[in-house]
Amino acid sequence: MTRQPERRSPAIAIYRALLILLPEDMRERDGDEIDTLFADEVRAARERGTLAHLWFVVAAVWDIVRRAPYEHWRRRGRRRNEESTMRSFIADLRFAVRSFSRQPGATALIVLTLTLGVAANTAVFAIVDGLFLRPFPFPHAERLVYVNERAPTWNLEFTGINYPDFHMWRQRARAFEAMALWNHTSINLADDAGAERADGLAVTYDFPKVLGVRPILGRTFTADEDGPKPTRVVVIGYGLWQTRFAGSRDVVGQSMRINSVPYTIIGVLPREAEFPGNTKFWVPLNGDPNQEGLSYAFEGLARMKPGVTVEQARADLSNAHAPIWAAHDTARIVSPRVSGLREQFVTEFRVMGKALGAGALLVLLIACANVAGAMLARSIFRRREVAIRMALGASARRVGRQLITESLALAAFAGLAGTVLGRWGIYLLIVSAPDQIPGWVQLQANGRTFAFAMLVIVLTAIVFGLVPALQPRRADVAGSLAWGGGGTRSSVGLPQRRLLDALVVVEIALALVLLAGSGLLVRAYGHLRHTDPGFRTEGVTTFQLALPGAKYANGRAQQQLYSTLIDRLTALPGVQGAGIVSCLPFGCHWGNFVRAEGAPPPSANEANPVVLMRLASPGYFQTMGIRLVRGRFFAPGEGRPGGPRPVVINEQLARQLWPNVADPIGRRMGPNSRDTTGIRWMTVVGVVRDVRHYGLIQPMRPGYYLSTTDIDSTDSYGYFGVAVRSTSDPATVAAAARATVRALDPELPLIDLQSAETAVNRSIANRRTIAFAFAAFGAVALALALGGIYAVLSYVVGRRRQEIGIRMALGARRGQVLGLVVRQGLRLVAFGVLFGLPAALLASGLLSSLLVDVSARDPLTYLGSIALLAGAAILSALIPARRAAAVDPKTALSDG
Amino acid sequence: MSTDMKRHWFYILLSLADRDRHGSGIVRDVLDLTSGELRLWPVTLYGSLDELRGHSWIRELDTAPDADQDRGHRRWFRITPQGRRALAAELERMQTLVSVAQRRLARVGEST
Repeated sequence: MTRQPERRSPAIAIYRALLILLPEDMRERDGDEIDTLFADEVRAARERGTLAHLWFVVAAVWDIVRRAPYEHWRRRGRRRNEESTMRSFIADLRFAVRSFSRQPGATALIVLTLTLGVAANTAVFAIVDGLFLRPFPFPHAERLVYVNERAPTWNLEFTGINYPDFHMWRQRARAFEAMALWNHTSINLADDAGAERADGLAVTYDFPKVLGVRPILGRTFTADEDGPKPTRVVVIGYGLWQTRFAGSRDVVGQSMRINSVPYTIIGVLPREAEFPGNTKFWVPLNGDPNQEGLSYAFEGLARMKPGVTVEQARADLSNAHAPIWAAHDTARIVSPRVSGLREQFVTEFRVMGKALGAGALLVLLIACANVAGAMLARSIFRRREVAIRMALGASARRVGRQLITESLALAAFAGLAGTVLGRWGIYLLIVSAPDQIPGWVQLQANGRTFAFAMLVIVLTAIVFGLVPALQPRRADVAGSLAWGGGGTRSSVGLPQRRLLDALVVVEIALALVLLAGSGLLVRAYGHLRHTDPGFRTEGVTTFQLALPGAKYANGRAQQQLYSTLIDRLTALPGVQGAGIVSCLPFGCHWGNFVRAEGAPPPSANEANPVVLMRLASPGYFQTMGIRLVRGRFFAPGEGRPGGPRPVVINEQLARQLWPNVADPIGRRMGPNSRDTTGIRWMTVVGVVRDVRHYGLIQPMRPGYYLSTTDIDSTDSYGYFGVAVRSTSDPATVAAAARATVRALDPELPLIDLQSAETAVNRSIANRRTIAFAFAAFGAVALALALGGIYAVLSYVVGRRRQEIGIRMALGARRGQVLGLVVRQGLRLVAFGVLFGLPAALLASGLLSSLLVDVSARDPLTYLGSIALLAGAAILSALIPARRAAAVDPKTALSDG
Repeated sequence: MSTDMKRHWFYILLSLADRDRHGSGIVRDVLDLTSGELRLWPVTLYGSLDELRGHSWIRELDTAPDADQDRGHRRWFRITPQGRRALAAELERMQTLVSVAQRRLARVGEST
């Protein structure tokens, strides 16, 4: 939309015609504006008189004529500049591709090496990022702390929180904005499709406030609803809202049957509220500040006020707890404990994350050293080419840029491949550690992992590209040309040889660190796998049942179901036995305090370790294959409410209660109270092997079993584990168990139905993951180091062809030449071990907490790693050595 | 910038330093600034504007400001932070030049 001047004067016409002198792009872009500007100004000039008008037109035309050549020249220069930069980059790239494609094998090896390094780092970074770096999905998550109580004299780091204690804290503590308790609970949701188990939390009313979440619909509990009197209100989570109520907005006010009792839905919480993982609903905790007796059952979560540190919060809570100590715990046996949320939930992964991170970094470093060596060797062979280019006028900068372009091309290619492979690695790592990581920790490849991978790629390119890129600056052009034929003399390039040797020594040293580490971890995992759990896993299938109180009101009703279930399970074909227990191995914990009859109750400051109490049916021991050390198991029907109380104890409890008694059968034990009137003494009828109840790694506690028939009608043991031993395969047993339970009560879901073998494996899945990851790192490191040795020796043999030819001409035998080369390889290994061994010993200290039954200085592992390196080094040295031995003295000498 | 800035570049940057302008506005402002001594002829002006843009010292506005009275001029220009720095550097260079010259001339004055 050109603005036309009002009057078409001849001056304007001439001016416009002359614009043709300008470069085309300028005419196109600025022509109209120039035209308009001229028209405006020329009009003003005309008003000042004819002379002024004329002078103006001439000056403007002169402006075109004078400026036009400059504009043309300027554009050509610019184009040439752009073209030459671009053209030289493309030329560099094409040159790189050409020279790489001349050695496809070596190039593929370099790319593969880098790919592995980048992939390992991307995968490990995703895990580390999810666990330790990314903020938790709650507002100001850094102010959230985990609260519990501890009692060292009871041998308990976490006792659980006593409600009256919490009540006191909530009134007295000043460092917190809000503080809440929660307790895991689960319900049976039954519909036509079958029974389903849903996990939820019983929480104090301000739980959502602590997390900083607001309901999407409706409201959360009021303080009144969370009073000591139970209220039937429930808040559901996003997941349950979607799956069971199809996201309907009028869900608030509806009724939901929880364990066969109707509850009113008052609100819906968003997905991020599903703390600490997989929580589907919330009900009021209904704690009683005046409750009788000491029950430590709850976990706590608190939000600190802005600016308060965890230490301050800890001190504040101790202060708030003081009246409780004064009133009924003068020995201060139980005290509050406060820890950061991340510390609490991901601590067990910290060592693992560090170790994996260090391992991945080592792999990358080895990869860099390896590629730097390969590139250096290439650049040495290309000295002559570089020298010619520089003699023909290429600047050192230009040649350096060529080499950097090559590095970047390799790194970019490997980076892309590594990122793809890394995603796969993340998947592998997650699959091998299934339900160990809290659900709200997100592990996935995302923008951050990609950015990290890019950073790794660029750094990698710089590290391995720098060494050869520095070469041409130092290259002695004249010398290189004078030496002639591609460097066949052994005296050439000694500094480079040293550098190459150094790189390989570094690789071997780092590889030794990784090999030793992976050796230790794999051995530890092997030990762990063969740790006796205290029961026989073969053929055993376990599951749990939770009987709703509304249907199974008391111990009697519950017992009735269990005994029928055991009878029916035992009658199944292939089943050798079935039994029930209150807590399956790796399952729950039910603590108690006991003492031997006649022993004085412990004083307040004396260690008073908690004893694990379990209820077991007579068939449970045989079903699980728990070995009897002494005495007998329960007889069927033995142990009745009101009657004598038989007890089966484990070896630890026997040692603890009767340290100087060889045979504790017939001895009696009772609760650890001062007042012994009216207590039911328990008579030891059997001693069994310790079962690793808390996991294969964790130490066992003293424990005892009471008979399930001893359950009183006033008791309620709704939650029980069932074990079945069968000769059939696990899938058949699982299906049969499911059918049997359904026939008894179609609304009862089977929880954690799995083989005992699986349960054991799941309890050590973390250790398997890290052992597996390190074994992979170790294998890659070994392969890379061997590649390095091979490359150096090939290079050396190539350089020393002439010398070897002379030796052979002078009578050296084939074996001597072989030995010469292999010895060189072993010399590199020796230096690598010299540096690597102290580093490995130092690094394995980091792993010591992951090592079970293996010392971090286990000599066998270190010797094995060194032997493996040396053996493999000899093998990889043999190829160039044979090539050297095959040198024909005549041709080698005439080449010179 | 150690070398001298072209005179018309300097005045264009100076003109854009206080507000965005179109070509005609720059021409008039530079005439004002130099008391009519420097007239930017159209081809020189647009050629220079292109060069300044190449240095990223100015940029062209996507839309004309509201107070656009010269509706025929569609292209408006604005100085960039780099442009301001370049202008400041040039000013400093000129100031140094002036102060050096003044000191020397003052000494010459004393000795005579």
